[in-house]
Amino acid sequence: MKIIKDSNKTKPFRIIHAGALEQVVEKCLEQFSKQNSGLKFETNAVGSREAAKRLLSGEKYDIIALADQALFAELLVPDLVENYFVFAADQIVIGYDRSSKGSQQITQENWVEILLKPQVSFARSNHHLDPCGYRTLMVWQLAEIIYDKPGLSAIMESASIPYSVYPKSLDLAGALFKGKVDYAFLYSSQAEQLGLPYVILPSKINLSSPAYANFYDQAAVSVESRIPGKNEIIHGKPIEFAVGIAKSTGYLEFAKSFIDLLTGVEGNLILEECGFIPC
Amino acid sequence: MNAEILSKFELTIPIERSIQAELLLLLGQKPSHGYELIQRLNETDFRTGEADTATVYRNLRRMDKDGLIKSHWEVGESGPGRRLYELTPHGEESLKVWAKYLTRHKAKLENFLRAYFQFEESLFEKKGG
Repeated sequence: MKIIKDSNKTKPFRIIHAGALEQVVEKCLEQFSKQNSGLKFETNAVGSREAAKRLLSGEKYDIIALADQALFAELLVPDLVENYFVFAADQIVIGYDRSSKGSQQITQENWVEILLKPQVSFARSNHHLDPCGYRTLMVWQLAEIIYDKPGLSAIMESASIPYSVYPKSLDLAGALFKGKVDYAFLYSSQAEQLGLPYVILPSKINLSSPAYANFYDQAAVSVESRIPGKNEIIHGKPIEFAVGIAKSTGYLEFAKSFIDLLTGVEGNLILEECGFIPC
Repeated sequence: MNAEILSKFELTIPIERSIQAELLLLLGQKPSHGYELIQRLNETDFRTGEADTATVYRNLRRMDKDGLIKSHWEVGESGPGRRLYELTPHGEESLKVWAKYLTRHKAKLENFLRAYFQFEESLFEKKGG
C-alpha cells in the first residue's frame, strides 16, 4: 500500500457501505489507517439502496461499497460515480440458531416445509432498502419454479414476519441471536461472521452462480425507484458486491489507495476471513 | 516435456484439480473475467458436475499467485470493472503437462475398461456354459 502525503486532512474520509460489509470495512480501515495515520475516518453502514439514495439526495461520501453492483448503473453512474469494481460474491442462505424450532430437522430439501410450519417464525429484510430483502423474494420465486409449487412465493411472503420489523439483514441476525425469530434469510458471509449455523440452498435458487444468470433473471421484484412514489422492477442476478469512488471526493488518491487495498491481496484475505468470495 | 516432470506432476496433482486445467484451457482460448469463466465452464462438454463460484475464484487466485495466469482490472465501458485473467507462458506449459497427464490417464482408463469387459464376458460365458 502506498503512503499518501496530504497536509490538508481536516475533513474526514467518508465511506458509506452495505451493512453486510461492516466487518470488511472495519478490518480494511485498520490496515489503511496504519499507513495514513493523520486521516480521520467516518463510516456509515446502511442498506445498499438507501446508501445510493443518500448520495442522490446530496450527501457527500468518498467511497461507496454496495451489496449489489447493479445499483451503481441504476442509480449512480455517470452523475455521481464514474467507475465501479466488482470485488466479492456471495449467496443467500437460511440462518438459524441452535434453539430455533425445527433446527435439528431442517435441510436443503425440506426447508420450505419446516419454515411453513405454524409454530415456526422466519423473516427477511426490507426489499426497498436492502438488496438482501429483494434477493430473498427472488429466492422464493425461483423456489416456486424449481420445486413446481405454484403460489409458493406468495405463501412465503404472507407467512414471514413483516419486513418492516427487521429492515436490514443485520437486524435479522440480531433477532436470531435474541431468539425473536427462528430463521432469517441472510448472506452466507453474515452467517459465517456471526457464527450462525445455516442451510445452503440449491445454487439454482441461491443467486450464487453466473452459470444460472438467465434462470435468475426470471425472478422480478418491484422496489421504490429514484423518483419518490414510483416503483421499478428489478430482476434476479448473481450476487456481486461492488465499490466505487464518488466523483465529488476531495480525497481521490486516498480513495484509489483504499480500493487498491480492498481489491488486492490484503483485501482478499479480509474478505475470505469474513466469509465472502473475493472476485 | 520430459517423463520426470510428467510423473512428478501425476504424483502431486490429483484429478480433482482438473478444474485448473479446464480454466487454463478456457483462458488460452481467450482472456476472461471470473464471471464469464464460470458461465463458459458450465457450457463446456468436458466438465463433470457444476463448477461453483467459490471453487472457480479460489483456483483463479491460486493460479494467479503461482504465475500460471496473470490479471489486471478492466474498467467496464457500460458495466462494472472486473479482474481480467489471461494465460502466461508458464500457464501454457502447465496446460501442455495437463494434456499429457490426461492422455496417459485416459489410456489407463481404457486399459481398465478393456480388462473389465473381458472379465464380464468370461463371467457370462461361465454362466452360459
